[in-house]
Amino acid sequence: MRRLAHACICTSLVAAAASAGDELPSASAVVALELEAGLARQSVVYLHLDPGRRTLEIKARGVVLESVNLTGIELVNYQPLVGGHVPAAPPVPAVWKVTSAPSDRERELITPETLRPMQDEEEAPAAAASNPSPTPTVIAEAPTSFRASLDMSWDLWLTNSLPPQGLWSRFAAAVKDGWQRMHGHGESHSAAITLAMAPEDVKRLYHVIRAGMTILVTADTP
Amino acid sequence: MSTEPRPIQASDEPRPRKPRPRLVVTLAAALIVLAAGTSAVLARLGRCDHAGPFTLVMGQAGEERDAARLRKRAAQAQKEIERVRPRGVYLVVDTYRNRLFLEENGKVLRSAVCSTGKGAVLRDPRNGHEWIFDTPMGERVVQSKTKNPVWAKPDWAFIEEGYLPPPPGSDERFDNASLGDYALYIGNGYIIHGTLFKSLLGRPVTHGCIRLGDEDLEFVYRHAPIGTRVYLY
Repeated sequence: MRRLAHACICTSLVAAAASAGDELPSASAVVALELEAGLARQSVVYLHLDPGRRTLEIKARGVVLESVNLTGIELVNYQPLVGGHVPAAPPVPAVWKVTSAPSDRERELITPETLRPMQDEEEAPAAAASNPSPTPTVIAEAPTSFRASLDMSWDLWLTNSLPPQGLWSRFAAAVKDGWQRMHGHGESHSAAITLAMAPEDVKRLYHVIRAGMTILVTADTP
Repeated sequence: MSTEPRPIQASDEPRPRKPRPRLVVTLAAALIVLAAGTSAVLARLGRCDHAGPFTLVMGQAGEERDAARLRKRAAQAQKEIERVRPRGVYLVVDTYRNRLFLEENGKVLRSAVCSTGKGAVLRDPRNGHEWIFDTPMGERVVQSKTKNPVWAKPDWAFIEEGYLPPPPGSDERFDNASLGDYALYIGNGYIIHGTLFKSLLGRPVTHGCIRLGDEDLEFVYRHAPIGTRVYLY
């Protein structure tokens, strides 16, 4: 992931196409631009996924704050080994909304059991002491693979490697899952738009993706 | 009487075990069949990932055919984006890397190490009320600035330490050392301020505010006027 200078404010390739003048922008490019204008009007940070360019950008007010290069993008469906299928991709351009993200749930909880009255000033929790001794919170390592739920019944799965698709790999995965199901630990996942990227980028996006965040999906290039 | 030794008979010696290749092979085969069968049953019971390409499917957008109308819509949308994009001096805060940038028209004037929200949740044992110590994301504006700020401590500052919050307005509520020399208020109680805990700069340890070192704070205070936009992500 790279931090972009403001100089490369690129509202998007769509914008470039639209402002070209001579060239007629495609209807989908115009709709994408209108969707982006709608998001840029708000004081929120949003993501811009462009499957064609294989980028996921963090943006605000139409400005790219950071850009992530995707090493892969696939639709993944968690289904039985025999007869499983991958549904058709959701239509674009579109705005998706994150309804649930692990970073919202996995938080350190501070719960004092009881509260005691303050006796005098010296006992006060003021950090005005001349030699303060910090007590840093232990920070959990962000995962390199996680799923967030979207409002259109799909998941967004960010991972550092796409699931292997060889027959043997899938068979082994199905056996493992079957074993877990026998013991009551089987998992179910919605179909997922799966984005592969460098591990550090997954961690960074784990920090950013929260419930309520919007994702603009466009198709600038075929 | 014969003194010749009696010829050794086969029945006198311990019988060597006969190899039973058929049994071993049969057992091995049975094991393999059992394992394969079990695997097949488990595989039938279990699930795995089926992947396919992300093929772009155009939505209803493709119905507009009027070229002039398309151009007009594109120009309007572009104009709208241009209208809202940041200009002049603004601040960008990367809450993952704990970095703050003071920028002017795309040029970074100052890059600083900061500390942002630790993301923990504090629960009040008396009523279950919760505070989330996140630095908010999105756009904010510097609403006011001050030198030698005094921190009016909210309830959570006491509860986190295990104390009952004192009454509003009491002396214990006010702390004139923790915020450093300057403060820039960006709304909802969030402040860009200094710190006593300089060794923790670069780490997410705050309750949502943005802490800076002394020199960086002074620079930001002097160069970011009231009204400066702040982009937090």
